[in-house]
Amino acid sequence: MPMNRREFLFRGVGVASVSMMIPRFAVAGARFFEESVGTGASGRTLVVLELAGGNDGLNTVVPYTDPLYSGTFRKTIGVPAGAVLDLDGTLGLNPALSSVKALWDTGRVAVIEGVSYPNPNLSHFTSRDIWHTADPKLAQHNGWLGRYADLNLAGNDNPLSGCAVSQSLPRTLLADKVVFPSFTSLASYGYTTDGSYPQDAPNQTNAFVSQNSLPHEIPTRNELIEGVARDASTSAATLKQVAGSYVAKATYPNNSLAAALKLCAQMVVGNLGTQIFYVTYGGFDNHSAEKTAHDTLLKAVGDSIKAFYDDLAAQGASHNVVLMTWSEFGRRVQENGSAGTDHGTAGVHFVVGDAVAKGVYGPPPDLAHLDSNGNLKWQTDFRSYYGTLLRSWFRADADAVLGPGYPNLGFINSKFV
Amino acid sequence: MSNSWDREAAAHLARRAGFGATPAELDRYLQMGLDATVDFFVNYDSIDNTAMEAALFGLTLAIPPSRATYDLTNITGLQKWFLHRMVYTARPLEEKITFFFNNHFTSGIGKVGDSILIYNQNKTVRPLAMGRFDDLVLAITKDPAMLIWLDNATNVKGRPNENYARELMELFTLGVDNYTQKDVTEVARALTGWTLTRADANSPYTFVFNAAQHDSGQKTILGQTGNWDATDAIRIILDFTNAEGSVSGRFLGRKLWSFFAYHDPPEWVVADLANVWVSSNRSIRAMVGSIFRNPEFYEAHARKVLVRSPVEYIVASLRQLEAQTDMSTPANNLIPMGHYLFNPPDALGFPGDMTWINTGAIFARASFANAVISNRGKAGTYIDTTALLKGKKTDTPADVVNALADRFGLADAAPATRAIWEKYVDAKADGSRGFWNNSASAIDQKVRGLMHLMLTTSDYHLC
Repeated sequence: MPMNRREFLFRGVGVASVSMMIPRFAVAGARFFEESVGTGASGRTLVVLELAGGNDGLNTVVPYTDPLYSGTFRKTIGVPAGAVLDLDGTLGLNPALSSVKALWDTGRVAVIEGVSYPNPNLSHFTSRDIWHTADPKLAQHNGWLGRYADLNLAGNDNPLSGCAVSQSLPRTLLADKVVFPSFTSLASYGYTTDGSYPQDAPNQTNAFVSQNSLPHEIPTRNELIEGVARDASTSAATLKQVAGSYVAKATYPNNSLAAALKLCAQMVVGNLGTQIFYVTYGGFDNHSAEKTAHDTLLKAVGDSIKAFYDDLAAQGASHNVVLMTWSEFGRRVQENGSAGTDHGTAGVHFVVGDAVAKGVYGPPPDLAHLDSNGNLKWQTDFRSYYGTLLRSWFRADADAVLGPGYPNLGFINSKFV
Repeated sequence: MSNSWDREAAAHLARRAGFGATPAELDRYLQMGLDATVDFFVNYDSIDNTAMEAALFGLTLAIPPSRATYDLTNITGLQKWFLHRMVYTARPLEEKITFFFNNHFTSGIGKVGDSILIYNQNKTVRPLAMGRFDDLVLAITKDPAMLIWLDNATNVKGRPNENYARELMELFTLGVDNYTQKDVTEVARALTGWTLTRADANSPYTFVFNAAQHDSGQKTILGQTGNWDATDAIRIILDFTNAEGSVSGRFLGRKLWSFFAYHDPPEWVVADLANVWVSSNRSIRAMVGSIFRNPEFYEAHARKVLVRSPVEYIVASLRQLEAQTDMSTPANNLIPMGHYLFNPPDALGFPGDMTWINTGAIFARASFANAVISNRGKAGTYIDTTALLKGKKTDTPADVVNALADRFGLADAAPATRAIWEKYVDAKADGSRGFWNNSASAIDQKVRGLMHLMLTTSDYHLC
């Protein structure tokens, strides 16, 4: 059966545009620094932090005043009421999040409660794709920030308008007209050549760029790979400019999330005009022996976020950066027999930054009225969560990215909107 | 061109059923013809593999590397062990299908903790990997690493843990949305009491059925009600049919076709594979064999459209470079390429395809290739350029390109690409032409450099 070749090749793939066959590095480097810094969304930056595996919202922001929490559902793994760090008299943070509490106390944190979507899906992978694409029907292929980038960042010549500090590119950043780079360190980010013949290195590097810059008469997967290779070369050249100039002004903890956020801070301070950073921290699928594992994860998350914030504040850059968290779902209200929790629905998320209007958004979890599977009924559509950031932080047309009908949640301080 | 048995077709089959062929292997496959070559890959049990097996346990020095024993008590050693098998096996499909199931029924060291259990899982899968799927699912359900990885070890009567039950249906057999949340909880009940035991803290875990923790009540799974245990649940799941036919047959058919041929197969391919599944009593060998015998597999739109995983990229390059390796450089480059073998990000395994390709991964692959081609010593991972060029004309830059392109399956490279390679071979330090003189030092510089370029061309990331 004959297949449409283009459809065949590109289905399931982020499509690089034909215009990308022209190497961007030829024009991007120097001109970008002269003209483009501070353009786009007024120099504003969004850091997306994915907590992969389905973070247990009820043990993150604890409904400690609800007797059902400790008395019925979380007898083994519940956070004791006396230990929580109170937020508003009803909810309190897991004590592992003492760093987040410190940021809350200075007005830098918004807590978004009960976030999910109609008919929540309990599969990690389906729900994750829904969050990445902002489309519960999964009719959209590209990610929500990829669509934002196609509408707002394409053609600005900055090879680092967004990036994933990661060993893979998340679907959130899949776009048609923009390739977002991904890397985990600056030192190893470049095309290595034969050390025995350093005089041949320019020939090797030029040939590498050339073999990735040939036009294709028909679309092939080669074209996609070559587009990524060209962007690798371009972004590496740009990144070199921030390699030596940054000194952290806060003490980061020793974990992979902190390392990733530190690299984000380095790029923010280096003023590369990067609008979107994506970082992932995994391990939240705590079906068994949850308490120790989850507390360790939360502590790493909270301490890393605070170090990142403190660093940016000390560098004078914190007013330009907002960090948001997401996770594919919360967990089952009733703990299981393995001292863990199975897959659930609504979760709780944090937004952190100077631009945040401190507060808890959305009603607290209603443990007395669960759905037929024993899961929380959701309160806030995640597209309103995304839309608030697009509209109020990026000043973008959120409806064009998400579709209409997702009102602002108001967690960006009106002075910044 | 699509369906004639030529060098391109043989190279295509070898890339998919194995990890890519050397020129000598291609010569042999061409002589054998399509049917015999497919038989060679698919019916591999009769192929003598004792040299490789023996080398793994340090029993012989007959094949490289000379010190081919690996410490299986740490994950790097286990990665080297599996890479060694893939690079040096005489039965490419045995390792390829084991590699497939390693990602299908995946388990991660980060949670499992004990690399011996991961090793045991790999050893359990290999002899069953082309057999009856039911046997494989049953074995993996009892596998200690899996019992830890997806928590069935702590799945007990009255308070079931759903983790394994869900992924058994979603990821292993049926696919998402072919069951309900109620089916998940009922299968979890059927699986209660399938757990682990060990004699003492120093012994590895083994499977045990703990009747006291098994829920022996009535369950309704996919519409069938009875006092089901785990074996019943697996049978009901694999027997499950809907209006389209065998759900497991369609699910595995789609996944195996996507792994071996191309993504998103058309409906007629899926339906054919599901029929093979049913008529063969769910034989994996029958299904895989039918893929390689399907003319559709050899169509132009099936060729060089799959993205090589980092493991496949490493193994293909080492096989086609006929490299000597102690597996250190290969194993050490897995994580930077995004492929932490035996430690996938989650139960889905590595999602593969274009997710392997991002800017950092492109550089990491180049870095690995450079490490291999630039090592001029006789330790670690290294190549013999003289042997690789034996019998090949290298008088001109075009000769050099020809000599290497066939080796890497790049003989079909576009003229413009060849021109870039020839220009590189002939380029002096200042970029001007006239460098190539076919001397030993020119070969040492430019043949190695050209290999690096070929291994980092977009075609080599595809198979």
